[in-house]
Amino acid sequence: MTAILSHKLPGGGAGLAAFGGGLTPPDLDRGMWDLHRADLLGAPDAWRGDPGLRLLAPANAEDARHVPILADATGLGPVDRMVVTIDYSPFPLALVFHPGRALPLLGFGVKYEIAGPIRASARTGAEWIMGGAFIDAMGGGCSAPAATHARPDWQDGFGEMRARLWPDTGRLRVGIRHPMDTGLADGIPAHHLTDLTLTDAQGGEIARLEIHEPLEENPVLTFLLPRDLAQGPVGITARDTSGFRFSGKVAP
Amino acid sequence: MTLTRRQTLLGAAAALLPVAARAAPEYRLDPRQVADGVWLFEGAQDSIARGNGGAICNVAMLETPQGAIVVETGGTLRHGTALRAFADQRLGGVVAALNTHHHPDHWFGNGAFADRPIHALPGCIAAQKAGAQALSDGLYRILGSWMQGTAPLPATAAVEGGDLTLGGRGLTLLALSGHTPADLALIDRRSGILIAGDLLFLDRAPSFPDADVAVWRAALSTLGALPVTGTIPGHGPFHRDSRAVAQTLAYLDAFAARMDAAANLGLSPIEALAAGPMPAFAALAANPAEYRRATVQQWRAHEISALPVIGGSV
Repeated sequence: MTAILSHKLPGGGAGLAAFGGGLTPPDLDRGMWDLHRADLLGAPDAWRGDPGLRLLAPANAEDARHVPILADATGLGPVDRMVVTIDYSPFPLALVFHPGRALPLLGFGVKYEIAGPIRASARTGAEWIMGGAFIDAMGGGCSAPAATHARPDWQDGFGEMRARLWPDTGRLRVGIRHPMDTGLADGIPAHHLTDLTLTDAQGGEIARLEIHEPLEENPVLTFLLPRDLAQGPVGITARDTSGFRFSGKVAP
Repeated sequence: MTLTRRQTLLGAAAALLPVAARAAPEYRLDPRQVADGVWLFEGAQDSIARGNGGAICNVAMLETPQGAIVVETGGTLRHGTALRAFADQRLGGVVAALNTHHHPDHWFGNGAFADRPIHALPGCIAAQKAGAQALSDGLYRILGSWMQGTAPLPATAAVEGGDLTLGGRGLTLLALSGHTPADLALIDRRSGILIAGDLLFLDRAPSFPDADVAVWRAALSTLGALPVTGTIPGHGPFHRDSRAVAQTLAYLDAFAARMDAAANLGLSPIEALAAGPMPAFAALAANPAEYRRATVQQWRAHEISALPVIGGSV
């Protein structure tokens, strides 16, 4: 059982199956996995694959600055943390998701510096489940300047927050206009979002996301909420490395 | 049948040779005359790949007493060289070449025509200059040794829309856009044949890396209104009716509708990509690859209208 919505489009169910359904290929237990498991996941020796964790990723990065990904761990037991790592990125730790009262599904886009695997690792109880995919890429996504710096004033529209809630499916999509500068482009210091929090009508935390450099410019994130919380309203707050704060509220 | 248009001549023999010997693929051309003095070299229908050497776009040659007018020069220098050899041996040389737009499968063979004027729209030439290095990097990565010797040479002679006579043969040039910011289509006035560049695709999924769909639609209505006797699309077979216009328009509309539907249903872009193409177009050549590329290229424009502004910097 997955929460992937490709089937909502005509022919999309068959299309998703032909795409591989987000199942992890068997040969992904190499690359930087041993090292990253030790360094970035808190040294778990034990891990396994599981078809309950799906990771949708393109086989090729058509645009190395925007590589669309969806990690869906709703087929596992309760997940308290999901960590996204990219094997050969200059910033291998991309995102740490604390689903809290949301469901363990996260859609996002990343920048790709060089071809290699991307992984989502979900912790359920004491166990880590890893799902991933190999993405071929020309690369350069992390070291290229953000597109916004080609405009006369990159601050035009900076921080604008867009969102929409779909109460029937529980989907929440949130976008923030932000350059997500990694610090690797010549003359442009690091300036990126660091965290984003979803809150309920009473201000209680629903879910929290730690954000690192690889998240795409002008990121749009996809969450999945249980039916009660999906009726909204949902508060969204975020911060970046320069101390800017962003907030908004979305209702169906 | 004319299915094996261009392929490596080495074939099975290559398996017996050391690896280095594979690095000498050759283009096998399969020209045919579709009208009086109008030659078509039909491209492979897939995406650019090692199996086709990047020879995917249609190339046309128009005979004149001073040699051929060559429309598109192929996807690599070696491809251009093979086309040039045909023109030199069979058509009395080359009077001039034209590039319809800046996508590399249409002009990376320019080097083989460097001693002749190479015509293109100013916007195309600017895009060729700006994109040459990145396009070349990408093609070397995909095509490997097929690209040997290819150094992108942007077109050398800017043209505008209107009448142009080359070697005594009259052309009507149309400066359009939509597939890219500068798309050249032309009509050969002697035969009445339209050479449409990539504004038209037939039985092959359109590509979108620089597309502006609304502008492309307008260009299609311009092309659809022309009194022509036949059409050479950028990709796909020569035909006498208007079905490439109808099919390209239907594809653009169906693709835009699918992106809008996905964005308004709350799908993430990778879910729309993984869903694959619109069922009516799933069997087109180069799909689902072109659909997947197009989803990444076009998604943002559709997504933004589906997500209202609800907050900002505080």
